[in-house]
Amino acid sequence: MNISLAGLRKGLTRAGYICDECVVLTVYLALKLQKPLLIEGEPGVGKTEMGKVLANILNTELIRLQCYEGLDENRALYEWNYQRQLLKIQMNRAREGSALQEEDLFTTEYLLERPLLKAIRAASETVLLIDEVDKCDPEFEAFLFEVLSDFQVSVPELGTLHAQNIPVVILTSNSERELSDGLKRRCLYLYLDFPGIEKEVQIIKARVPGIGDRLAWEIARVIQLLRRQSDLRKKPSIAETLDWARALIALDRNRLDGAAVADTLNLLLKTRQDQQLFHRQIGPSLIDQELRRPADEEESCRCR
Amino acid sequence: MPLNRQSRGESLEANLAGFTDLLRSEGLPVGTAELIDALQALQVVDLSCRSSFKTALQTTLVKDRRHYDSFERLFERYFVPPDILERHRLEAAERRNRMQHDFDEANRSLRFKGEPLRLSPEEMQLYTLLPKEQQQGLLRFVRETEAGKKVEPSFKPLLETVVKGHLRYCRSKMERAASSEGVLVSGGGPGAGKGAPDNNLRDIDIQAIREADLSAAQDLIRKLSRKLAAELGRGRRRSSRRGPIDLRRSLRDNMRFGGIIFILRHRRKRRPKQQLLLLCDVSASMQRYSTFVLQFIYGLQAAVFNLESFCFADVLEYLSPDLKERGHLQQVLDRVVRQSKTWGGGTNLAVALEQLLDDHAALLNVRTTLLVVSDTRTVALTRSLPALQRLLERVSEIIWLNPLPPEQWPYYRSVSAVGDLVDMWPCYTIGHLEQAMTRRLFKQRRVLNNGWPQCNPV
Repeated sequence: MNISLAGLRKGLTRAGYICDECVVLTVYLALKLQKPLLIEGEPGVGKTEMGKVLANILNTELIRLQCYEGLDENRALYEWNYQRQLLKIQMNRAREGSALQEEDLFTTEYLLERPLLKAIRAASETVLLIDEVDKCDPEFEAFLFEVLSDFQVSVPELGTLHAQNIPVVILTSNSERELSDGLKRRCLYLYLDFPGIEKEVQIIKARVPGIGDRLAWEIARVIQLLRRQSDLRKKPSIAETLDWARALIALDRNRLDGAAVADTLNLLLKTRQDQQLFHRQIGPSLIDQELRRPADEEESCRCR
Repeated sequence: MPLNRQSRGESLEANLAGFTDLLRSEGLPVGTAELIDALQALQVVDLSCRSSFKTALQTTLVKDRRHYDSFERLFERYFVPPDILERHRLEAAERRNRMQHDFDEANRSLRFKGEPLRLSPEEMQLYTLLPKEQQQGLLRFVRETEAGKKVEPSFKPLLETVVKGHLRYCRSKMERAASSEGVLVSGGGPGAGKGAPDNNLRDIDIQAIREADLSAAQDLIRKLSRKLAAELGRGRRRSSRRGPIDLRRSLRDNMRFGGIIFILRHRRKRRPKQQLLLLCDVSASMQRYSTFVLQFIYGLQAAVFNLESFCFADVLEYLSPDLKERGHLQQVLDRVVRQSKTWGGGTNLAVALEQLLDDHAALLNVRTTLLVVSDTRTVALTRSLPALQRLLERVSEIIWLNPLPPEQWPYYRSVSAVGDLVDMWPCYTIGHLEQAMTRRLFKQRRVLNNGWPQCNPV
């Protein structure tokens, strides 16, 4: 992939993807070494977004494979168009003197490409996003090895198909299940953590047009306070921060206080338990106190 | 250049191979493929930039966020900039000089009638490590003994024995202090960690594991939990029973027979997701067991998604977020112990169960299995039983892991009262703990008389 480190950095910033230098460098290494990149992290920290943004920066097609329990090669790689094959057989029966051979039915004409095969056979470079790989079965994970290490797939009737252009492969995982060593070995690894307050302010300003500096800073501060609550079952992610910021803009808020946070809590904390915990342990008064507290030294880089 | 060894003429490859060896010694699974990736990555990055160099190594060599801290620590130790390396050398030399000075000082002071006391180098070192007040106390004792009336030089061996005994006492006190915080101490002098073999440790009562074997026991726990986590991640066994016919796949697979259904394909059966809830008693009497259980749970957190952990003594505390935190096991457990307000307190089972029912009701449903690790000894037992009964109605089953040996069960009223309501298994060795977790996590039903004595209260 012909892109420089500075070009990638600039592209990410232009696409509104604010991240630390180590993230940029890791993605750059994945592109340069033509290795799949496995991104782990809490839901909503920007793992899937990385795939989308990369496709945008590299000006290529994004091919997405959403993993789920029970996903098999027929839905991920290819499927024979059996209705068409059946029609061909029936049509042939009616025709006199025709000699239909088995191999006539197993040609690329009858092949339905699924995401993996599509990425392998693409005429130009593509970004292949294998999303939430931890949700698929271990058998399917093992099946991915061939694609990830050699960029080739085997179709019994056609033989081995090699990638015409090696795709940029991004795998994401929420760490719901330990991935196999084999899969990890084939990938570069990046863990995306929640951003520090300064980064979060930058992200809000980049992704929510029209937001004031003050409101962006207050939002980031409240989010950081919530993330420090270790008892929360689901800490608010960047995605939730952005939704919340947009909601506050829609409500014509240009300042934040405890009451406003309590009113819009549903956008931040998505379980009843977490909301109860908020009212019990934090409450509007602590939010007000936090917002009045002078800014101290916040950690600026939490990128790992 | 960030590589100090380069200045000594060693190649980057050899340097990196040394570093990967170091990572492996800390338990990071770094293979040759990773090493090759790292070397390729280093060809792409600016080697004069330390952070780029570090990121390139981290992204290629470390494939688990739990290993980030170890990588960080080892990287800083291995790739030391020349100026810092020089400073470290100076500091080390200064430390050595200070230690030698303390040694000489101890040799000069610990004398009886002008003759130095015959102490081993380890004992001398221990003396130099003692706080000043304790050193002075010991010296005062030697001086007072020396100044006594009719004190013969033949008293020296007796005095040496007393001093050695005192030093031994100080050593065990230091070890106890380190382990009393609820966290296992590693080390413990030469030979530590080479104590009982794994198989023996597995079957020893956790309470009876010697200080010298704690490190080995900790390793065993880590090994077992990692093995179980790997198995859980790798193989979810398929049921031999088939699901309903998958018409689509059947038609497709039978195309080769001219559309005649020759082979039937079945849908895979979906298994309902089970929720595992761990409730761990961390009262004073349970501390050592609890520490082991928490270590086991820490090892499993990554592999078992639907596992929630709580601890209790006089109140209930939610542990999962702490156990899911990044960091070295020792640091994580240390943090858990430090932050806990209930660790080492008295047991109030009733309060804990009621809190679980009231504050965490969403976790209690028909798919939940509650695993309680407790010796059942509690205040307000009569109030606990109705709460336990209510819990039983809410969850699929409750399994009680009791660290008391079964022969002691008849002597405790609380054991029989709780045992009447729930399944109770003895769990006082690492082997028991492993079996309990394995069976529960693989959803194997308990078979009576299969190595699991039933609660048999008298």
